[in-house]
Amino acid sequence: MSVKIPAAPWRARLGRLWSIQTLRLATQAGFALFILYTVALHLLVGEGGGVITTSAEAYCPFGGLEALYTFVSSGGTLVSHTHLSNLVILASALLLTVVARGAFCGWICPLGAIQEWLYAGSAWAQKRIPPLGRSVRALKAWAGATPTRRFDQRGAPTLLARIDGWLRSGKYLVLAWAVLGAAAYGTMVFRDYDPWAALLTIGELELTGGAIVLAIVLVAALFVERPWCRYACPLGAAIGLAGKLSPLRIERAGPACAGCALCNTACPVGIPIDTRTAITDASCIMCLRCVDTCPKHGALELRLAIPGLAPQPPAHEQKAGVV
Amino acid sequence: MKIERLIQKRGGAPTRPQRWRTVRVNLAVYAALVLVLFLGAIESARLAGVWSTSGKLTASGEQVQITGADPAEIKGWMTIEAVIAAYRVPREQFYAQFHIPADLPVATPLKDIEPIVPDFSVTAVRDWLAARAAP
Repeated sequence: MSVKIPAAPWRARLGRLWSIQTLRLATQAGFALFILYTVALHLLVGEGGGVITTSAEAYCPFGGLEALYTFVSSGGTLVSHTHLSNLVILASALLLTVVARGAFCGWICPLGAIQEWLYAGSAWAQKRIPPLGRSVRALKAWAGATPTRRFDQRGAPTLLARIDGWLRSGKYLVLAWAVLGAAAYGTMVFRDYDPWAALLTIGELELTGGAIVLAIVLVAALFVERPWCRYACPLGAAIGLAGKLSPLRIERAGPACAGCALCNTACPVGIPIDTRTAITDASCIMCLRCVDTCPKHGALELRLAIPGLAPQPPAHEQKAGVV
Repeated sequence: MKIERLIQKRGGAPTRPQRWRTVRVNLAVYAALVLVLFLGAIESARLAGVWSTSGKLTASGEQVQITGADPAEIKGWMTIEAVIAAYRVPREQFYAQFHIPADLPVATPLKDIEPIVPDFSVTAVRDWLAARAAP
């Protein structure tokens, strides 16, 4: 006869800490700390004589995208501020995207992680400071910015939902401008307005266009989750388009879904998950928060599509003998 | 309790039939796949020698030397002094060509001129030197 031994309290506590979100947070923190270390080393040690420290910009995949045209057309010349590492990281990010969709944005990108942490900090403060929480909730309700309410009483999209939809096209315009500009002029035209470049060179204490964009993004991140990723990130736009090739996607099983819309609330980029069959949106960052939040077993799952194989009939049809 | 109330409130929206067969993927496997693919691709490039994080280093890790043979080698960290010496350009001609203030020291790296002089870029220097060298 076997007796189940209850887990020790510390093991139970450790078990509660383990979740895919803990792993994701650790991954994001690891990459962010690496970039922070690189920035600090470059700033504090500097360069001169035989000392060579790496600029953190050398690890930006978007630099690779901007440099790609010049690199190919000139037979190996890179535009200023870019290195071979930018192209390698771009290739790695694209490979990752083609297999695992928006994982670069959701698991690796430090700018995305910073926005997420700011929003989480703001939500934490709103819970602990009731007047602040009430004000922000009232503001969001007035503007119709509730994840579960994207439609008004007549069934038409709310004004904010419409504005949100228009603004989401912005990142494709930024992508076209940055890549075509770099190809046409041979310089990184976007760099002066890039909040990531501004954050990496924050030690230079210069008021640039990028620094202003960075300030706007960081303030907006207190109220809207991942505003840069939603509306303006050109790398996110490229990843979203390349991710359409990925066979991995989150799928919703209609009969199992309870329609509680908790997935919508959890989604950091505002995808109305409870209305979709498969989450193949270009803006999905594969953070898996919707899967983690879903209270119904089997309603939301990460699945791998196998092209060429016909889908299996639903479980209830199999039981009833329906072919 | 709140979640239970929400679940009881309404059912989910209907879903469309899928085009292809799909299989469930464990979330921890997905996390491992993300890290292995991204870091593995970078490590493979490093092992293949296709990796450089500084314009001052070659792919094999040696310091880059300015030779004066090909303007494409010019990088933003190179100083005016190094460029005009390697390509045998008179200082006055270089300053006049790019409208560089005369009081700017020749020890200034090219990338530091970009914020001071409008229309100046390393690419412009490369193009001008290439055109100058052409027969």
